[in-house]
Amino acid sequence: MITYELMLLLRIMPKPELVSTLKRTAESIYNKGGIIRKIENLGTKDMPYKTSVHGVVYNKASYYLMEFNVPPSSLHDILDEYGRDIDIIRRRIYKKAEPEYQECTLHEELQPAPYRKNVQELITQARKLDKPKFQYNTGLDYYPFQK
Amino acid sequence: MFIKMFAIKRLTGCASSSSIYQIQKSLPSIHFKFTHSNADAPTFDMENPFEKEKRQCILCKYNITPDYKNIKLLSQFQSPYTGRIYGRHITGLCEHKHQHVEAEIVKAQSAGLMTTYIKEPCFLKDPKLFDPENPVRPHRF
Repeated sequence: MITYELMLLLRIMPKPELVSTLKRTAESIYNKGGIIRKIENLGTKDMPYKTSVHGVVYNKASYYLMEFNVPPSSLHDILDEYGRDIDIIRRRIYKKAEPEYQECTLHEELQPAPYRKNVQELITQARKLDKPKFQYNTGLDYYPFQK
Repeated sequence: MFIKMFAIKRLTGCASSSSIYQIQKSLPSIHFKFTHSNADAPTFDMENPFEKEKRQCILCKYNITPDYKNIKLLSQFQSPYTGRIYGRHITGLCEHKHQHVEAEIVKAQSAGLMTTYIKEPCFLKDPKLFDPENPVRPHRF
């Protein structure tokens, strides 16, 4: 099952309004048949850049992170709903990353060019464009093609 | 063996070059027989003793996965002057880790967590993971 993370930036407003906005966002997830795993408050802080949304320019925001599971087909609708909410400055939904272990290939990448795998692949691709040449030492006592 | 080939040549009456080809084919192959190995013979099951140590990038060494929420870590790969992401030849990361870092930085910038045009002033005093001032080739950062 894919767990999604919603990064929510809400405009600065009094606490009861904040609560109602968060409730609305959670309800829209529940209506699509989803479950919320956790809601994190990342604090109220300055935004890294000012954003102009719904005709207002914002410099500060309250950051909230919601982790939830929802059928993937309803993601578009959820984002659409949040887009129409004037209290939400920015909303982004990302998949929760499950780290896959991959070996470090730095050793191979630091080798000189002829020893690197991607360079070798390029060379084999280039060799394919070479025209096949007739080998004279295969035991045929005449030249089979028209010179 | 040799006598047989001559017989075939007379019967078919083929050209000289083709009979040469046939004779070449019929040459006996020499098989080398291995004698039973004695205790003094070397065993070749040792690892290469001259193999260099496999160098790992910083993130692989400490097994760190970059996350878009961890902007302090991501800012270490950002230029303090332009806010651009340093290339792999400067940071010294392996291919897939560099791609992860780039993807996570873009995510963080899009989500309104990380700056795009500068490095956050509170992260300027962070320890340097690499030296961007002495580049291998000139960069625009």
